[in-house]
Amino acid sequence: MAEQKKNMLSVESLSISFGGLKAVDNFHIQIKPHELYGLIGPNGAGKTTVFNLLTGVYKPDTGSILLDGQNITGKHTIDINHAGIARTFQNIRLFGNLTVLDNVKAGLHAHYTYGMLSGIFRTPKFRKMEREMDQKAMEILKVFDLDGAADYKASQLPYGKQRKLEISRALATEPKLLLLDEPAAGMNPQETQELMDTIRFVRDHFDMTILLIEHDMKLVSGICEELTVLNFGQVLCQGETKAVLNNPEVIKAYLGD
Amino acid sequence: MKTKTFRQNAVTYGIVILFYLICQGLILSGNMSSLMKGLMVPICYYVILAVSLNLVVGISGELSLGHAGFMCIGAYASAIFAVCVDGKMPEGLELFLALIIGAAITAVFGFLIGIPVLRLRGDYLAIVTLAFGEIIKNVVNAVYLGVDENGLHFSMKDSLSLGLSEEGLTIMNGAQGISGLPRTANLTIGIVLVLITLFIVLNLMNSRQGRAIMAIRDNRIAAESIGLSVSKYKMMAFVISAALAGVAGVLYSHNLSALQATSKNFGYNQSIMILVFVVLGGIGNIRGSMIAAVILTILPEKLRFLSDYRMLIYAIVLISMMLFNSAPKAIEWRKSLAERFARKKDIPAETAGKEAR
Repeated sequence: MAEQKKNMLSVESLSISFGGLKAVDNFHIQIKPHELYGLIGPNGAGKTTVFNLLTGVYKPDTGSILLDGQNITGKHTIDINHAGIARTFQNIRLFGNLTVLDNVKAGLHAHYTYGMLSGIFRTPKFRKMEREMDQKAMEILKVFDLDGAADYKASQLPYGKQRKLEISRALATEPKLLLLDEPAAGMNPQETQELMDTIRFVRDHFDMTILLIEHDMKLVSGICEELTVLNFGQVLCQGETKAVLNNPEVIKAYLGD
Repeated sequence: MKTKTFRQNAVTYGIVILFYLICQGLILSGNMSSLMKGLMVPICYYVILAVSLNLVVGISGELSLGHAGFMCIGAYASAIFAVCVDGKMPEGLELFLALIIGAAITAVFGFLIGIPVLRLRGDYLAIVTLAFGEIIKNVVNAVYLGVDENGLHFSMKDSLSLGLSEEGLTIMNGAQGISGLPRTANLTIGIVLVLITLFIVLNLMNSRQGRAIMAIRDNRIAAESIGLSVSKYKMMAFVISAALAGVAGVLYSHNLSALQATSKNFGYNQSIMILVFVVLGGIGNIRGSMIAAVILTILPEKLRFLSDYRMLIYAIVLISMMLFNSAPKAIEWRKSLAERFARKKDIPAETAGKEAR
């Protein structure tokens, strides 16, 4: 039990099946605080399903999820976010009609509160909170070099910046653990390089634990300290990045026989 | 950005006040026909209805087809109150209390109806709100309510089965509705209520709660992932919208001496009409729905001289308004027009010369 307390995320024997298909089978993972952890695997291995289980989109059939010692198994997405997990999505999900600034301010929702009547009657509390939210949101946007685009509609941003905005919004909820679902998808090598630096910076600057799904092996080997390889819903291999990537079974799963 | 929304809102309030000053000027100088005078209060309640429905359809992103039902509740609640206190208090106080009671009771019904309705999405939500709207209207038509020295009497059969004593007073007489209402609504009160409605809706939109409501509209899954409570904020928009429709209902009932629930005033035709205001004015565009409500309330009356062709022309106007608002070509044309105006103001001689070429 003492061993588990030390972990930021501790998952044991997590399973879910859809109909007859075991999408995730006996999944387990231990992530230490401040770690940059990678979850990789071929297409359809169940990586995003794991994310959906961790964030309460799906309820697991079996298994337990402990976040910083707190049991969050089977809780609702909203409560899991309040407990400290924020995520991004493989297919970007922004609030397209809101401004870039408002997207981040929506993420700050739970941390800067005032009542509905306060908002309607524009009380001093409303002004103070909104001012603080603006400051905080701009601070986060600056990290991602998005502060210049704060007044644009989120849907007007180019693809790479939309990905960054999604990460900003997730960070605004002040999570303990950040889940990134293919953050480098659709980016060119230079953008990927920048993203790697940003992810490292986020980890150090916000003192965050990060779990990411990624296909780009350069990114994975460049920043992840540990890896879990998923194949057909099962953990194939787990450990330090270098050792895992040289494991013959992993190479076989990726490249075939 | 803050100043931009502030300026936008100021323009919206300005338009309402300007409209009021012009109409009041015309009335006082005797230049307004009695037909138009009679339209003044309806314009006000239609604007309130359009703006409040936009809160659900545009801001919260749910298609609601039962808005006239909420208006009906507000109208009847305030009418019952008005008949009960008739002559016992000054008119102004009576109207003020009626507005509060109308809004509060409609908000309660909005909440109760919202519980099942907001579990649904899209077309299903639309159909169920439509059904609730019709249910409200028909139930109200079947209720008999009377008062005498023994208290309130209630029946769903007929007025005789109320069993009132000699001095008893029938308040609600089934399909014949409520009569003997005070006609205290006027343009000034209507405009004040329009301004209050705008104040509530516009400020809500630019607050933490409004941001949450719009975030949920744009992407429900992402909204949940950052911890926004979908059911809470959807309900908030729905209840506020219902309460404001109730206010419009109070204004409606205080503009008539007898109140009846027919399919013309509280039926689904009316709900669709309000939706037309919202859609034509631009979904999510408060100022647009306001203007659409005014134009489409005045237009049918102004087209009366066309007799048989009236509804034909009305339909054509609807279609052209829709094209003007949302056809890509029309938007392009409006943009270029706006640009030209802006350029003329900012850079005089040089560019203006190029323009002419």
